[in-house]
Amino acid sequence: MKRSPLANAILWFVLIMGTAAFIFPLWWMAVVSLETPQRAEAAITGSAGIALFPPSPQLANYADAVRETGSVPWMGFVDALANSIVVTVLVVLGTVLSSSAVGYAFARLRFRGRNPLFLVMLGTMMLPGQVTMIPLFLLFRQFGWIDTIMPLVVPAFFGNAFFIFMYRQFIAQIPESLVEAARVDGLGHAAIWWRIILPLCRPVTAICAVFTFIGTWNDFLGPLIYLHSDESTTLAVALNGFKNQYGGLEDVHLLMALSVLTMIPCIVLFIAAQKTFVEGLARGAVKG
Amino acid sequence: MANVTLTKVGKVYEGEHGSSFRAVDAVDLAINDGEFCVLVGPSGCGKSTTLRMIAGLEEISEGDLAIDGARVNDVPAKDRDIAFVFQNYALYPHLTVAENIAFGLETRRAHRSALVAALTGAGAARSEETSAIRARVAEVSKTLGLDALLSRFPRELSGGQRQRVAVGRAIARDPKVFLFDEPLSNLDARLRIETRTELRMLHRRLKATIVYVTHDQEEAMTLADRLVVMHQGKVQQNASAQECYERPANRFVAGFIGTPPMNIVDGRLENGAFTAKGASVAIATHIPAQACALGFRPDRVRLTAAGTTGAIPATIAAVERLGDRTDLALDSAWGRLIARLDADLAANAREGDAVGVTLDAAHAHFFKPGECGARI
Repeated sequence: MKRSPLANAILWFVLIMGTAAFIFPLWWMAVVSLETPQRAEAAITGSAGIALFPPSPQLANYADAVRETGSVPWMGFVDALANSIVVTVLVVLGTVLSSSAVGYAFARLRFRGRNPLFLVMLGTMMLPGQVTMIPLFLLFRQFGWIDTIMPLVVPAFFGNAFFIFMYRQFIAQIPESLVEAARVDGLGHAAIWWRIILPLCRPVTAICAVFTFIGTWNDFLGPLIYLHSDESTTLAVALNGFKNQYGGLEDVHLLMALSVLTMIPCIVLFIAAQKTFVEGLARGAVKG
Repeated sequence: MANVTLTKVGKVYEGEHGSSFRAVDAVDLAINDGEFCVLVGPSGCGKSTTLRMIAGLEEISEGDLAIDGARVNDVPAKDRDIAFVFQNYALYPHLTVAENIAFGLETRRAHRSALVAALTGAGAARSEETSAIRARVAEVSKTLGLDALLSRFPRELSGGQRQRVAVGRAIARDPKVFLFDEPLSNLDARLRIETRTELRMLHRRLKATIVYVTHDQEEAMTLADRLVVMHQGKVQQNASAQECYERPANRFVAGFIGTPPMNIVDGRLENGAFTAKGASVAIATHIPAQACALGFRPDRVRLTAAGTTGAIPATIAAVERLGDRTDLALDSAWGRLIARLDADLAANAREGDAVGVTLDAAHAHFFKPGECGARI
């Protein structure tokens, strides 16, 4: 169908305005990260507007931000970055492996109580995180896991209700005869999951991995609750160090510089996974 | 290769609220080494369930299954040394043709992991294994004409090619028994007939024991050394295709085997004549007087001029000319009958013509009353 020029113009206008609204905070962050401390603070407090492009970009802000992270120059940043990477990689691995395995079981194994169990599992999605926060903290303290990455990583290996649901729906569409062929070919359930099901679930795995990566990388509350020492914290929490305890804004330009750096892996990952990702979303949309 | 024996094998599905459904009922079957056995019947007759029980994909509720004399009821599918060809082929979509064919061999090799083999000093043994698998895949793909397709993925193949790969995957492992579950039903008519012939030739060459399920009686008759006709979970007849056609064991088999189907009329046999719906035909037979059904194949129907004494009066309702022969649908006192004549004999047949129907006593079949009434 061919649109009239007017309809096209309206469409473009709406899309551009929408994009601008979404881009604005990012652009604002990038601009502030390049400003001098005085101009950055003025922009935050609203006492002066900000330029579309900073008149004298302070690239040194980025080096300063990296150096000033944590309490030890340079190493504070390296620690936080390493912690973020370790936690995120483990959580992504754990979520993909456990969710797909449980999804396979719910979709393909026949066992007593399967449907009630599935409902219970879905029910856990209705439970707000705030409700379980304190009991979980007490439990992990009993385990002696405070100030270790265990409370952040271990639960991921026990599945995520939403992703289990997604995997189950996807696996249920895979023909039963493929599983049967694999059984005749000599595979047990674990091998069928690993060698047949998981490779076929690529689109779901891409979604699960990207969402989990972004969620974990940006997670603030979890590391804040469980990781107390400077050396064990993650980037998302380390960012907060630039705001002093009185809410002072003198380092806001550094905060923004580090925020930009922290965002880069998420953006790169999203772009890299986008194709598989869209394929998965579309497939879910068509086949339901 | 091996023989397969089913003794009183049954399958009962337990439904909710204590109801149960008997899909397969006391099936006795002895399939000899190297035999091409075809299970045929209408949908829901239990033929696929029987096949799946032989494969180990479905649990056996009752009775015993033996492969080569050893009871295998509780042996998992992977340890029964069988190969299964699925109706939808069930090729692994993420693997190439070569990988699909090699899959069953890969899972059974002694040294699965290259790393472990290298660490335990079995590297040489493993590479020997790998080249043996490669050679086997090459051999199988040559047999089936798949050489040029080895690096393709299943989605890049036509239906017929996929079907070949599925067969290739089955023969690569050289199993004791091949099980086919309606493997041709997703192919178009012409390809189906070609592939049917190829399967028959493949069986000659492999001398394999094959159990084959189909609902198509023509496919069943052309392929089978032994034809097992099933209905309502029970074996109705277990004999050669020719025997099933010439001496059907009961009324169900008579009606199921043969196209067009046998004409069957309920009536009474008495004093050397069969009478149904007020019309009777003289038939010389030694069978004692009783209520029964008379069956006769369309190609045994003789047409005479209208009004001939001793013939059933009928009118031609439809003429179907098939080239070498012509099928006539007749409206008679006995209801709708089908007659198959040589084309030249029927050259003058016109719809609406009045004729007389007689039949050949030597080719008449008598069955006890009822849907599965036994042959008399």
